[in-house]
Amino acid sequence: MDLKWLDAFLISGLFDVAMVMGLALLLHLQLGLGRIANFGVVGFWGIGMYVYGVLYVQVDWPFGDPWQFLVCAAAATLAAGVAGLLIGWLISDLDTDGVLMGTLGFAAVVQILATTQDDLTGGARGMGGLSFPYDIGTVKQNEFLWLAITAAVVVVILLYVWWVHRSPYGRLLIAIGGSEPLARSLGKSTFLTKLGLFTVTSAAMGFLGAMNGVFVHFLDIGTIGVAVTLAAMVGLVLGGTARVWGAVIGVILTVGLFDIVVQSYLPLPREWYTQAIPVLREALFGLALILVLVFRPLGILGDMRRDRLMRKIHGR
Amino acid sequence: MVADVVVAPAVTRPRIRIQGAVKSFSGRVVVDVDDLVLGDQPIEGLIGPNGAGKTTLMRMIMHSTPLDRGTISLLPAGGRETVLSSLPAHRMAHHGVVKSNQVIMDFDKLTIWDSLLLAAAEARYEQPHRVFSERTVFGRHEDEIRHYLDYFGFADPTAFALSAGEKKLLDIVRCLLLRPSFLLLDEPTAGLPDELTDKVMTVVKDLAAAGTSVVIVEHDLNVIWSLCDEVLFMAEGSVILRGAPHEIRANRTVVEKYLGEGHV
Repeated sequence: MDLKWLDAFLISGLFDVAMVMGLALLLHLQLGLGRIANFGVVGFWGIGMYVYGVLYVQVDWPFGDPWQFLVCAAAATLAAGVAGLLIGWLISDLDTDGVLMGTLGFAAVVQILATTQDDLTGGARGMGGLSFPYDIGTVKQNEFLWLAITAAVVVVILLYVWWVHRSPYGRLLIAIGGSEPLARSLGKSTFLTKLGLFTVTSAAMGFLGAMNGVFVHFLDIGTIGVAVTLAAMVGLVLGGTARVWGAVIGVILTVGLFDIVVQSYLPLPREWYTQAIPVLREALFGLALILVLVFRPLGILGDMRRDRLMRKIHGR
Repeated sequence: MVADVVVAPAVTRPRIRIQGAVKSFSGRVVVDVDDLVLGDQPIEGLIGPNGAGKTTLMRMIMHSTPLDRGTISLLPAGGRETVLSSLPAHRMAHHGVVKSNQVIMDFDKLTIWDSLLLAAAEARYEQPHRVFSERTVFGRHEDEIRHYLDYFGFADPTAFALSAGEKKLLDIVRCLLLRPSFLLLDEPTAGLPDELTDKVMTVVKDLAAAGTSVVIVEHDLNVIWSLCDEVLFMAEGSVILRGAPHEIRANRTVVEKYLGEGHV
């Protein structure tokens, strides 16, 4: 396959877009439907990435890839899901402020653990030794295949979210997000539903974290900072928290625009790439968030339209 | 016709027993019921002046307002007694105890159809792994929902409920779809035109005739006098009188504290 058109920045940018889009879609289920303001996305993603990395590198498995990848990724997903279950249990009955603080605190704890448990994680030095679970030729070909696999996973998440909107489960999530007391009066266990949602979506975030670990090959505590949560949150809010396509459009307009167009095609000074660009990225995302909340709080796509959807599904 | 007297039921139907139930807000006792059984008669009305504790008592039954002390139990027709006051709020509907809301409550992002399908849907279909079950749920409940939509004449059930009256009706239909065995209605006809009030009353009568116990709080006393088999008068947190509608209507205390001389 001729991949001359694909340079390292472009493939990295596309991977970032896919990764953040997957996280934003999962965040859409939590925030857009269930109104759970999870500001600790990176915590679950980071658990997945580090559990995968530690198991893949530190454990002497009796089998190689792809089984090694599959077992480690399954364990990472499970670990993130268990973390989601525990954190969800703690925050499910809290108000928005409590959820925000709780999830933010959890993400900070994950980063601190990754830093301090350096016997396992490599701490601030980072941890190498990760590789793709296959070898089809050049580095570029391997990266391109992993990008395609990641994109396929994100498409599966998108399809799941699309179906959730058309299901009784999605209706229940919207109801709980709208009025928990009213949903409870109809016999709905709002606590268990929110807990289940948080567990499943956290597990999926962990799986995406494991996929990121495979791509970057080197785990660095700098990658599990608030920038990941910020990117997913800004993308989702910009596109529209309540709409399926909000996460997709929002992430393309933020991460896509910055990580691909700005980094790959604008003639920026080379020294900016190490220090200035990450800071500039966070500043621009923060600015975008402020502008959206001031001028279009429901995002570009606006509020969900259940009336249109119900007519489409069931007719008049 | 004395405070909190337990009357022997004429027929076996679900009843709710409230014992030693107390609720205070900021040190002020709002409800203080020693021993009260609701549901001896098919339809019972709960009346009293504002602040008497009617709505709080209903919310205590539903456990949406926790009790300071006391117990509230469901005595199902032919079943085992269930202590409602120890159950989480969402379990009430599972036991057939359902309440409409005094203050209008609705799901802003759900259409009328959505809202009714939500009420009707069984929990097994509302799971994260069952995202393809919408058609099943719709198929199972479409006829029943359409029956109520047609009966009450919702203009466009694929749209959102906009008016207060429409939201009030929607609240009542949601309750009906839960197939209540014990239905608490808190001002169900407030804000409804006469035609719809009559329709609600007819549905309530049919439900009671089919074995559901109904307790209704209502300030429209014409509804109380014409609908209820028994009326309970509540003041200062306690039920101080109960009896047939004509007896309560003629009672001196009720006239002085609540109805006024002109109403008699």
